[in-house]
Amino acid sequence: MKLKKFTALILLAMLLSVFVVGCGNDAKTESEQPAEQSEAIKVGWVYIGVPGDYGWTYAHDQGRKYLEAEIPGVESIILENVPEGADAERSFEQLAQEGCSIIFGTSFGYGDAMLAVAEKYPDIKFMHATGLQTADNLSTYFGRIYQARYLSGMVAGAMTTNNQLGYVAAFPIPEVVRGINAFTLGAQSVNPDAKVKVVWTNTWFDPAKEKEAAKSLLEAGCDVIAQHQDTTEPQVAAEEAGKYCVGYNTDMHDFAPEGNLTSPIWNWGPYYVNTIQAVIDGTWASEAYWGGIDEEIVDLAPISDKVPAAIVEQVEAKKEALKSKQWDVFTGPIIAQDGTEKAAEGQVLTDTEMLSMDWFVAGVEGSL
Amino acid sequence: MNRFPVIEMKGISKRFPGVIANDNISFRVYPGEIHALLGENGAGKSTLMSILAGLYRPDSGTIKVKGEVIRLHSPRKALEEGIGMIYQHFRLVNNFTVAENIVLGSKHVNWGIKQERIQKETREISHNYGLEINPAVRVNQLSLGEQQRVEILKMLYRGCDILIMDEPTTVLTPGEVKELFQVLRIMSRQGKSIVLITHKLNEVMEIADYVTVLRRGKVVGDDRIENLDEGILTRMMVAREVVYSQAQRDSSPGGVILNVDNLKIQGDRGNIAVHEVSFNLRRGEIMAIAGVAGNGQRELVEALAGLRKAVSGSIEYEGEEIKHYDAKSRIALGINMVPEDRIGMGLVPNLSVIDNSILRSYYKEEFYSGWFLNYNKIRSYTDRIINEYNIVLSDSNHPVNYLSGGNLQKLLLGREIDQKPRVLLASYPIRGLDVAAAEGVYDLLLKERDKGTAILLVLEDLDDIFRIADRVAVMYQGFIRKILDVEKTSIDEIGSIMVGTELAGV
Amino acid sequence: MLKLKLIRRENESTMARLIVPVLSIIMAFGCGWIFLALSGYLPAVVFAKMFNGALGSPYAISETIVKAVPLMVAGLAISLAFRMKLWNIGAEGQIYMGAFAASGMALALGNGSPYVIIPIMMIAAFAAGALWGLVPGLLKAYWQVNETIITLMLNYVAIYWVDYLVFGPWKDPNSMGFPLTPIFSPAAQLPTWGDSRVHLGLLLAGIIAIVFYLVVQYTRWGYEVRVMGESSQAAKYAGMNVAKNIMLVMMVSGGIAGIAGMIEVAGITHRLQQGVSPGYGYTAIIVAWLARLNPFAIIIVAFLFGALLVGGFAVQIVGVSFSITQILQGTVLFFLLAGEIFLRYRLVLAREEAV
Repeated sequence: MKLKKFTALILLAMLLSVFVVGCGNDAKTESEQPAEQSEAIKVGWVYIGVPGDYGWTYAHDQGRKYLEAEIPGVESIILENVPEGADAERSFEQLAQEGCSIIFGTSFGYGDAMLAVAEKYPDIKFMHATGLQTADNLSTYFGRIYQARYLSGMVAGAMTTNNQLGYVAAFPIPEVVRGINAFTLGAQSVNPDAKVKVVWTNTWFDPAKEKEAAKSLLEAGCDVIAQHQDTTEPQVAAEEAGKYCVGYNTDMHDFAPEGNLTSPIWNWGPYYVNTIQAVIDGTWASEAYWGGIDEEIVDLAPISDKVPAAIVEQVEAKKEALKSKQWDVFTGPIIAQDGTEKAAEGQVLTDTEMLSMDWFVAGVEGSL
Repeated sequence: MNRFPVIEMKGISKRFPGVIANDNISFRVYPGEIHALLGENGAGKSTLMSILAGLYRPDSGTIKVKGEVIRLHSPRKALEEGIGMIYQHFRLVNNFTVAENIVLGSKHVNWGIKQERIQKETREISHNYGLEINPAVRVNQLSLGEQQRVEILKMLYRGCDILIMDEPTTVLTPGEVKELFQVLRIMSRQGKSIVLITHKLNEVMEIADYVTVLRRGKVVGDDRIENLDEGILTRMMVAREVVYSQAQRDSSPGGVILNVDNLKIQGDRGNIAVHEVSFNLRRGEIMAIAGVAGNGQRELVEALAGLRKAVSGSIEYEGEEIKHYDAKSRIALGINMVPEDRIGMGLVPNLSVIDNSILRSYYKEEFYSGWFLNYNKIRSYTDRIINEYNIVLSDSNHPVNYLSGGNLQKLLLGREIDQKPRVLLASYPIRGLDVAAAEGVYDLLLKERDKGTAILLVLEDLDDIFRIADRVAVMYQGFIRKILDVEKTSIDEIGSIMVGTELAGV
Repeated sequence: MLKLKLIRRENESTMARLIVPVLSIIMAFGCGWIFLALSGYLPAVVFAKMFNGALGSPYAISETIVKAVPLMVAGLAISLAFRMKLWNIGAEGQIYMGAFAASGMALALGNGSPYVIIPIMMIAAFAAGALWGLVPGLLKAYWQVNETIITLMLNYVAIYWVDYLVFGPWKDPNSMGFPLTPIFSPAAQLPTWGDSRVHLGLLLAGIIAIVFYLVVQYTRWGYEVRVMGESSQAAKYAGMNVAKNIMLVMMVSGGIAGIAGMIEVAGITHRLQQGVSPGYGYTAIIVAWLARLNPFAIIIVAFLFGALLVGGFAVQIVGVSFSITQILQGTVLFFLLAGEIFLRYRLVLAREEAV
C-alpha cells in the first residue's frame, strides 16, 4: 500500500511539473512567416545537438541566422538532436520531402544516411560538415580549425605554470587528433617543455561526461584545460577549480570569465551565405571544402586580458603568417610521439596526410 | 491493587464478513496487572486487542481508558492514551540502530536525530527496566529475543502504561522467556499493565495475575489466577456442550499403507519444525492431526507430499522408501494433497477454472495432442469435475478467484480425488466454510475413506475430529505427543495435549 | 487523517479497457494543445504535422514501422519474462549482445548466401542474448539474487563491450578512425520492402508474436510459465521445476531481445556502431506494460509508440523545438500511464487505519 501511495504522489508531482514547465515557456513566440519573396529558398538543417549547447550546434545555428539575415528569401527547417543511427536517414528524407533545395547535416556520423538520401533525390543539394564522401549532389565542408587551435595552444603554453596542459577530447578520429597535435605544437612553440594530457570521452555531446573528464585532468595536475567537445562544461570545471581553460566552437569566455583564455571558434555564416547564393545563382557544384583562417571560417576569439601583451603579439604575428599562407601549422620538423620523424625540416604535411592523421606529436600524453 | 481499571471495554462486538470475531465482550485491566488473554486460534483474542490498539474499530461497545470514554480511531491515538501493542511480527527497521528504531516515529523527534542523545535516552530506559541492550547496534544483528526488547523499549519510550503483547513467547528460547517474564514483573511493579495474548497454559500459570478466556468470540470465563488451574482453563478453552454424532462407518480400516519413521523436517527459517515423528496410516482410515496451528503440521504434510525435504528419518509407502521422491513422483504413486492455502498454492489465482483443473496433471498424455495442450479434452475433463463434485460457477473460463470458498474447496478436493489417490493429505479442508459446505466436504472425505483411501487430515476444531476421524495424532512443538483412538479419548485430553499440559488421569 | 489510497480493482470492464486509453490520449492532446498555445504555436498545425509525419503517408507509415520493429521484438522479450514475474530490465543489454553477435557473424562470414548468413546471425544473436539473460536467471534460480539489479548492471557491460569493439578491434580501417565497423555485405542485410526501409524484421516480429502466443497458451511449458507467474507456491505444489524455468524463461527472453539487436544491425544500420539501441530496451518495458504483456497488443502498442516518436521528430519541421516535442511525448505517455493506473486501481479517500 505504501508503494502505491508513493506512486500516486509521484504522478501528482509529474502533473504539476508539466504545468509549471508549460507556463514558464510562453514567452518564446516563434512565428516564422516566410517572407513572400520571389527568390524563396527552403534550406534544411539536421543538427546533432541543440542550439542551446553554446558549442558546435550553436555555432552552426549562428551561421544559419547570419544566412537568414543576409539572404531574406531563406526559409529554414531545422531538425535538432538527431542521433547518428537509424533516425538520421528519416530526418534527411523528411527534409527532402518538405521541398528543401539544400540540406545541411552537421555531424560526421550522418555520412551513410546522407549518401543514401542524396542518391534518392538527385535534384537536392546535400552539404555534409566534417564528412569524407562526396557525390554529384553531396559536398563536404569543413574548416582548418587546427590553425586556430595552434594559436590557442600558444596562449595555453604561455600561461601554464607547471607545463601540464589537459585536453578533453571526443573521439580518436583524425579531426580531433589533428587539433590536439596543433594545440601541442602551438604550446611548445612558446614553451618547449609543455606536455598535453588527453582524456577521451567518446561522445561529442554529454555535459556530465565532459565535466567529469575535465575534472580528472585537473586532479591529475593540469592547470590549463582545452577541449574538443560541444558543451561548455569543461570550461566550467576549470573555472570552478580556479584554473585556466581554452574553449572551442564559440567564444566561451562568459562561461568561465576568470579562467577562459581564448577559444578557437567557427564562423560558418559567410560560408553558408556563399553556398546558398551559389544555389540561387545556379553555380553550385559539388566540392570538398576546407577553408582556413584566411577565409575567416575559423578564427580565434579575443584573448583574455590576463595574457601578457608580448604573448598576444606573438599570437597575432603567427595568425598573420597563417592568413598570408606563408606558413602552416604542420611544417617540419615534426616528431611523432614514438620518435619517428613525420616531416623533415621545412617539409609541410599535405592535406591528405592531415586528413588521415592517426598519430600524436611528441609531447602528447595519451594513446589512440 | 488499585480499584479503578485502567482499561475497561464494554460490550465490544466486531464482525468480519461471515465471522463474528468479538461478540459482546467485556474486558478490564487494572494498573500493574499482568493479564492473560487466553483462547484457541480464531477465538477473537487478536481482534479484541487490535481494537484496543486502535487498529480496528468495534461495531459496537465502549472503551474507557483511565475512566474516560475514548474513541481509539487510530494506533496513534491509542499510543497517545498510553496503549501500545507488540505484534508477533516485529515492526522494526532492520538496518537502523536500536536507538534509531526506538525514537522512530515518536513525537519527541522531528527532523534531525542526535545519535548521542537518543543513545543516552535509550540506555536510561533500558536500565530502568532491566532490558539491557546496546543502543548503537543495528537491529538486523539482534536475535529475535533482543528485537522483542527493542519493541518493548519503543513502547516505553513513547510513554505506554498499557502494553499488549501478541504471543510474545513463540519466537523465544526458554532462557529468553525467563528473561522476558522478569522484565514484565519489573514493569508491573512500576505500575504498568500488561496484556498477554497466548494459548500456552503453563506460561499463564507462571506469570499472569488475572486470566480472561475467549472462545468463539465470547468471554467464557475470567478470574484471578489463584482461583484457577490448568484443568479448568483447558475446559474453558476447548470444551463444548454440543453433542456430536460420530459418522457412521461401513468398513473397517485395512493394512498400513504409509509408514513414517523418525521423520525430522526443517521449517522455513531453518529451525527444526518437526522432530523425529513416527506414525503409520492405514487404508480406509482417517487420521486427524490435532494441534494449535504452527506446531509443525504444515511442514509434516508438505514433507509427506514431497514439497519439503526431510532432514532425516524415513517415509515408506507400501514398504518402499519414498523420502527422495519429488512431488510429481508421489502424485504418480497416488499420494495427493489438498493444501492449507487454497488460492496461492492449491489453486492458481487469476488462471481460469479450466487451467486450474489440470494443475496437478497437466503433464499427462491425455491432455495433449502433439506439442500442444488439447483444450477440448481439458474442457470436458473440467466439466466432468464440475458436475461430479457439484461445483457451482458461472463460467469455467473465468478466473478461479470468482468462486466461493466452498466451491474452491470442492474444486480442489475433486481435482485431487479424481486422480484416485491412495493416500490423501488435506489441511484444514473446512476452514472458513459454512455448515452446508463443510457438510459437503465431509461427505466427500468419508466416501473416499470408504473406498479404501488412507486420509490424513489436519484439523483445528476438536468437534470435527470427533465427527470424522478414526484416530488422532496430537502435535505440540513439532512432536507428535500422542496418537489416540478417537473412540477412547475426550476433548479434554486432546485439548490439554494440544496446549502442552498433559493432565494426569484423564 | 484522510488519505488517498489506490486499491486494486477486482475486475475491469472490457469497455473501460478500450475507452480509458483513448480518453487518456485525448486528454494528453488537450493538455498539449493548451501548452502549445501558451508557447505561441498553432496547436492545430503542430498536431496535424505530428499525425502526418507518423501516419500521413506511406513513407511516414513505413518509417513508423521501422521505429516500431525493435520495440515490438524487445517488448515481446520483456513480456515473456514479466509473465513469470521476472523483472528483466536488461533487454537493452541483451539487444546490444545480440547486435554484437550478429555483427560478428556478418563480419566473419563476409559475402555468401543470405539464406545461410542471416539464419546464422539470428542464431548467434539469440545465443548471445540468451547468455545475457541466463546469468541473472542462474543467480535468481539458485541464490535468489534480485534479477532487476543484475539485468540492469549487465546492460552497461554489454554497451561498453560494444563500445570497446567499435573503438578497437572491429573498427573499420576506412572509417578514418571513427567508431564504426565496416558495412555488412549485402548477404548480411535484411531484405527491405520496396524502396522503403521496412525490412524483414517486421515479419520476424509477427512470427515471434504468434509463436509466443501459441507457446504460452497451448504448450506444457507455456502452462508452467503461466502458473509460475501467478504463484511459485502453486508451481511447486504442481511439481514444476521452478529454478529450471526461471533460467529457461530468462534465456528465451534474453534471446528474443538479442534478435531485436540483430534486426537493428542487419535491417537498419548495416554495421555495428555506438548507440545501436537508443534505449529500445527501456521503452519496450513501457510498451509491454501498456500492452498488458499480450503479444498481439504489443505489436499494436509498439506501432503507436513508433508513431509517437516519429511524429515527435516530424513536428520540428513546423518550427517546434526538440525540447517541446519531448514535452508533448512525455504528456502523452504520462496520461496513458496514469489512465492505466486508474484502470487497474481505484482511488479511495480513506481514513487512515493502519500505521
